[in-house]
Amino acid sequence: MGQYLPVVAMLVLAVVFAILSFAASKLLAPRRPSAAKSSPYECGIVPSQEPPERFPVRFYLVAMIFIVFDIEIIFMYPYAVIYRDLGAFGLVEVLTFAIAVFASFVYLIANGALDWGPAKRLGRRDPQMSATRTTTSTVRRVGLEGRPAGDEEVAA
Amino acid sequence: MIFAGDPLLSGHIDLAVVAIVVLKTVLTFALLLVGTMFMVWFERKVVGDLQNRIGPNRAGPFGLLQTLADGVKVFFKEDLIPEQADRVIFKYAPLLSMVPAFITFAVVPIAGDFRHGHSGVVSIFGHRTLLQLADPPIGVLLVLAMSSIAVYGVMLAGWSSGSKYPLLGSVRASAQMVSYEAALGLSVVAVVLVSGTLSTSGIVSAQAPWKWNLWVTGVVPFVIFLISGTAELNRPPFDLVEAEQELVGGYQTEYSGIRFALFYLAEFMNTITMSAIIVTLFLGGPSGPVILGPAWIWGLIWFLLKLLIFLFVFVWFRATLPRFRYDQLMDLGWKALIPLSLGWLLLLTAVRVGDVEGWNPFLVTMVGAVVLVAAYGLLVLAMRAARRNRQLAEELL
Repeated sequence: MGQYLPVVAMLVLAVVFAILSFAASKLLAPRRPSAAKSSPYECGIVPSQEPPERFPVRFYLVAMIFIVFDIEIIFMYPYAVIYRDLGAFGLVEVLTFAIAVFASFVYLIANGALDWGPAKRLGRRDPQMSATRTTTSTVRRVGLEGRPAGDEEVAA
Repeated sequence: MIFAGDPLLSGHIDLAVVAIVVLKTVLTFALLLVGTMFMVWFERKVVGDLQNRIGPNRAGPFGLLQTLADGVKVFFKEDLIPEQADRVIFKYAPLLSMVPAFITFAVVPIAGDFRHGHSGVVSIFGHRTLLQLADPPIGVLLVLAMSSIAVYGVMLAGWSSGSKYPLLGSVRASAQMVSYEAALGLSVVAVVLVSGTLSTSGIVSAQAPWKWNLWVTGVVPFVIFLISGTAELNRPPFDLVEAEQELVGGYQTEYSGIRFALFYLAEFMNTITMSAIIVTLFLGGPSGPVILGPAWIWGLIWFLLKLLIFLFVFVWFRATLPRFRYDQLMDLGWKALIPLSLGWLLLLTAVRVGDVEGWNPFLVTMVGAVVLVAAYGLLVLAMRAARRNRQLAEELL
């Protein structure tokens, strides 16, 4: 266990450093709380909704698929150290294992488990990208009431 | 098998050994803090130059003390805790992000003589030791474990803030870091395979003098490690975690004062550590030619030079590359880097086992290449099937 002694020493030093910084900040920093400061950041607007408690299930899927790959990686490390002793037997075993993981990976991809965003690329057919849509046809000018008509271009 | 473990700690541990350990810990700690200060300055200065600005130039010569000035200022800033926050987790998440950054650096060999027949060991006060803080026999696994723990710091910081932008940032961060960790881990296996050990000093010894893993493993694992390392650090072009145009400040939006500073510190410290790990795993660490004087000093010089290359590369990425879109990020990680690193690793394994067993290397490579092409074809078919299914589903809606 001696080889881990410096790691523990480093851990202790890092934690002490962080705690001392917190303490110093507590002593030196001003504390003038206000309602505006302690409300969640919302670009200056009063928050209208609670922060979401659920998020897309795809993130969970990624976490689950990661576990499969992490296990694969963990099995590869000991093999990589002693592959010389195992020879052809070890290679066959690792290949079998890799094929099993790869097959499930291909299944996941074919299933669309790792797809993100819209399926269709924005193409020329897309109405969002037609030549008739220009800044003059899509942007509505406001606040020009009562002004002479000729001023419009200047205001733009 | 290459001997793993620091000779200092393999025998009886007496007071002198403990003193050396404490000395090395304090030195490494100070070195890392000063290095981080320098890194912040370096990044701001280089990005300034690349954008045709001057960058910091007021505090100290060439603005070198700018980070120190900012650090002192941060102590005098109010430390806000939002009312919606989970107070305990919110307060200690920066700690969870910073401590792994320190620990990872403990296993990096910083200097030493790694020429043929030497193993980087020097003598201090009659005790023989390595010029690295710790050399556990599973150094590489410690690095991976610490990079997994760093995910928790980011995740808990965003979740405990009780605000929507930090939550989105932290969910993105966990998915991104977890995805690229798989590719990172697989590319490191190639290094372990070639070096035959999990100890970092053993890996450096195995690369001396010019058998750098960069070319011994074929350049592919290095490129994968560099890309996924950048993603692990959440640095541009993979900084979706704190994409300020969409998420304000990502997981650190609600942080201020010293707690924000610790996240900032951890980020830059991780950049240094990741560069050091790349140098250790792929560029032979401190090994290099000795010109005159003590050999271990030359180790330090070569290590710092190699480190500086990668620090510059990370800053260069930031100044040059536009940010990925989230689906592009996930596609790159899962559909390109992971299959590529797995395939390359298996090919490398087959060639090396063939070398041991005396098979024809040309034949092994050919068979391996054919199998890989077939697997790639299967992958392309799978992606096509997924796209067709989604289009069908959208037309039905």
